[in-house]
Amino acid sequence: MIAARFRWLRTNLRRFFRRGQQEAELNSEIQFHFDQLVAEFEAEGMSKSQANSAAHREFGTTDSYREEVRDSWRPSALADLWRSIVFAIRSLARSPGFTFVAIVTLALGIGANTSMFSIVNGIVLKPLPYANSDQMDRIYRVTSVDPAGGVAPADLAHLESELGAYGQVASYVYGDVSLSEPGRPAEMADALRVSNNFFYVFATQPHLGRSFRSGEEIEGNHRVVVISNRMWQNRFGSREDIIGHTVRLNGEPNEIVGVMPESFNDWRYMGWVDVFRPLGLSADEMTGHESNIMHLIGRRAHDVSKEEATQLIAGFGSRLAQDFPAANAESSWRGVSLDIIKAGEGSHLTLAMLVGLSGFVLLIACSNLANLLLARTMARAREFAVRAALGASSRQLIRPLAIESILLALAGGIGAVIVALGAHRWLATRSTGDNGEQVIFTLDWSVMAWAGIAALITAIAFGIAPALFAMRLDLNQALKSGSRGTTGNRGQQKLRNLLIIGQFALAMVLLTGATLFIRGLSDLNNRRAGWESDQLVTGTFLLPEANYGTVEEISAFQRLSLERLQALPGVVSASVAHYHPFLNWPSTRRLWVEGYDRPEAGHEPTALFNGVSPAYFETVETPLLNGRSFDDRDTAKSTPVYIINESMARGLFGDESPIGRRLASATGDSPEWGEIIGVSVDVKSIFPEATPVTFQLYRPMTQVAHHRNRLAVRTAGIAPQAMVDSIRNTMTELDPDLPLNQLQPANTTIARANYQLGVLRDMLSSFAVLGLALAALGIYGVIARTVALRTSEFGIRIALGAQISDIIRLVLSSGTRLALYGAALGLIGAFGISTLLGAAFPNMTMERGPVLVSTTLILIAVALLASYLPARRAAKISPTEALRAE
Amino acid sequence: MEKVRKELLQGTLDLLILKSLSTASLHGWDIAKRIALVSKDRLSLKQGSLYPALHRLEGRAWVEAEWGVSDAGRSAKFYKLTDTGRQQLETETEHWKSFAAAMASVLRMEELL
Repeated sequence: MIAARFRWLRTNLRRFFRRGQQEAELNSEIQFHFDQLVAEFEAEGMSKSQANSAAHREFGTTDSYREEVRDSWRPSALADLWRSIVFAIRSLARSPGFTFVAIVTLALGIGANTSMFSIVNGIVLKPLPYANSDQMDRIYRVTSVDPAGGVAPADLAHLESELGAYGQVASYVYGDVSLSEPGRPAEMADALRVSNNFFYVFATQPHLGRSFRSGEEIEGNHRVVVISNRMWQNRFGSREDIIGHTVRLNGEPNEIVGVMPESFNDWRYMGWVDVFRPLGLSADEMTGHESNIMHLIGRRAHDVSKEEATQLIAGFGSRLAQDFPAANAESSWRGVSLDIIKAGEGSHLTLAMLVGLSGFVLLIACSNLANLLLARTMARAREFAVRAALGASSRQLIRPLAIESILLALAGGIGAVIVALGAHRWLATRSTGDNGEQVIFTLDWSVMAWAGIAALITAIAFGIAPALFAMRLDLNQALKSGSRGTTGNRGQQKLRNLLIIGQFALAMVLLTGATLFIRGLSDLNNRRAGWESDQLVTGTFLLPEANYGTVEEISAFQRLSLERLQALPGVVSASVAHYHPFLNWPSTRRLWVEGYDRPEAGHEPTALFNGVSPAYFETVETPLLNGRSFDDRDTAKSTPVYIINESMARGLFGDESPIGRRLASATGDSPEWGEIIGVSVDVKSIFPEATPVTFQLYRPMTQVAHHRNRLAVRTAGIAPQAMVDSIRNTMTELDPDLPLNQLQPANTTIARANYQLGVLRDMLSSFAVLGLALAALGIYGVIARTVALRTSEFGIRIALGAQISDIIRLVLSSGTRLALYGAALGLIGAFGISTLLGAAFPNMTMERGPVLVSTTLILIAVALLASYLPARRAAKISPTEALRAE
Repeated sequence: MEKVRKELLQGTLDLLILKSLSTASLHGWDIAKRIALVSKDRLSLKQGSLYPALHRLEGRAWVEAEWGVSDAGRSAKFYKLTDTGRQQLETETEHWKSFAAAMASVLRMEELL
């Protein structure tokens, strides 16, 4: 049976594709028959010529049955289809303008959608590269200031015997390292200190070498390192003999024992880490329930369900709150499936919004095409009527329309893949992270399948209207009317207007979203609340612990380097700090204010905490409102001093002066009181995330020395970029092993800081521009057609004395009315999207009112422009010609 | 003997061709000759219906064609039954027989009533 099927297929394919040979074979077959006939007649005694003519008589003309034979060559369905396709191609080729616009519209619409799908595919749909990653949870300690915090090592140790009920819980500690080798400049590497079961939880073993052995997590044995595949390639040239090689981390020799596989560089999770070290917690770090440095990731045991895991994790938190209320009273634990946070916990909203918006673009493209096709079909009404009158069935009538739609969708789909490829390249370039980790959106088969399906659905969506039109065609009317086409009856006119209104409504939503976001992001990037970024160079350096072990050593280096920097020509002042609060400020302290009762655990006032050198406020230009700045009097041995921000002063002391009031850390048994000596203005970060903590607190660097330093240098009379090299030279002269990262003008850092939002902004903008352009094209098409079909009417109006301006007004108002209706309808969606954006980016200013007004104006302007071109044509109608054409 | 009316009953043409190919593979000319011979010239197949039918059968994969050499030493297109064709021949034969029997019964109506 299969063989028979195969034979059928082979025969028919051969017939289909090798017509020439078939024809030749038929000829010789018939010739053979003819010759046999001649031979027979000759055998009966005729002469050669007699036999020949007798055979011709007998044979008759061969044309008719040759054609019959040929018919049998094509399987009829296939042949019909082929004929219809050829017909449709010819018909499309006859109106190249329409075809071009249709294909481009589709390519852009489907392309936008396909690119969006490739992003969703890359972020959400593709599983993380860890076996059974659905069994992994990120475990957070939740406090009022941090919904995604870490845990103190002592707390974790306390739970050790209970964690087994959940499965495996690995811990890791953030902390960049300086990495150096003899003869090469030091670099700062993104690093994690990880527990021994870390790689087990990720179900990933090193590609080369080994993971950490038990015992190596103990301080002293911890000088081994596993590096990322990226670092192996970039820094060590993929050398196979790298295992056993020694590098210096923070000044200490460490042996490379493993190289992670490339898959572990997945940008969605852990991909940014280049150096993995054993935990090696120091004695200081091990004790105390205050420093929540450990971050947790767990792999559930096979028999633990998601619900059980959630309960277990919550149980750990309440257990700690019970056992150590001082540190944990107001905190709880929660687990979040790794699959949810792989794209960032809040990004699902953003992604869903983008997918929705790209769908809007596609919808606009579809309705545009429906309109175009409808107009085209109406123009061919007479042709359809004639065919229907000649007996074409409704199937036969619709078939060419359906095939035209499918062909357009197919071409559009191919165009969409090209658009998606371009978008893909753009995204890959735009979304490359600082250490080269790349957001990878593979264009795999599922993306292609999406483009195909989208094209197909689109074809159906925009093909239906004209098909319905063709079916409901009133033959009598169409054949009677003198013109070759028709404007369509009232119902069809209404449908086309509705399509335009819908397009404008969708365009309104797209435009509002994009405008809000553009304004919000530009506001973020230009927000300099409490500091000044012009003429400022910032950077980060890390003092290797091995060489700078004591507070004195750190302070000495800081003082020396700042002195040298300040002596540079062009430098006004220089400072170091734990953080640059306008960029990020993650550290918090819980406080006890003198004169009040010791606050209940978990209810202490909490402030963001920073350590700064004396010239800090001057350098970043954060004004002090009151009191004095830190200076040389504030040393490690002098009284602790604080500078607090305006919000904290008002929050704690109301209208009273905070100067001279005393604060202490709320942790520990006996308070170590320090004095408030100054009040600064509030500093706002340039990032869009919400900042629940508004209190800001500074202490002198000398009292809270830190290995990781943010450097700020204010320049004058010279472009900050020009200072970068001399700053770097000054620092490396002091210590050649010092890794100095991201040393660049602050404005460059800012421009780079929100680059992912920049990508988002550009995507939103391109959706909006695309949607608006398509809507403009749509309204232009409809108005232009209406003008063309109302030529005689306008002619009569002009003949009867209408002014040209009347005609123009008539046309313009019909276009503008549609746009206005659309904008009004779009307001609902615009409100929706502004609410969505506001929820997704709480620290971003979204000024709804002016944006809604301006987008409505833009839409009307676009509609006016799109209607103006046809209106001008209408105005040029010469009444005599218009009436003669009738 | 009188020739059978020119238009063959629908479907019988295929049966005739299939049957004539049941014992040997033949070219078009021989098929026509054989049918004429066996039917004692009462059935004659014109090339105008023979070739379209042959090509149609080939399209359905009931026969397959191969170029070979005729008795006279000329190259000719030989047709032979495929397995499906053979099955089809049996079915059609059954069909025809029962049809013929049914026709015969109806025509002998007087005798039966």
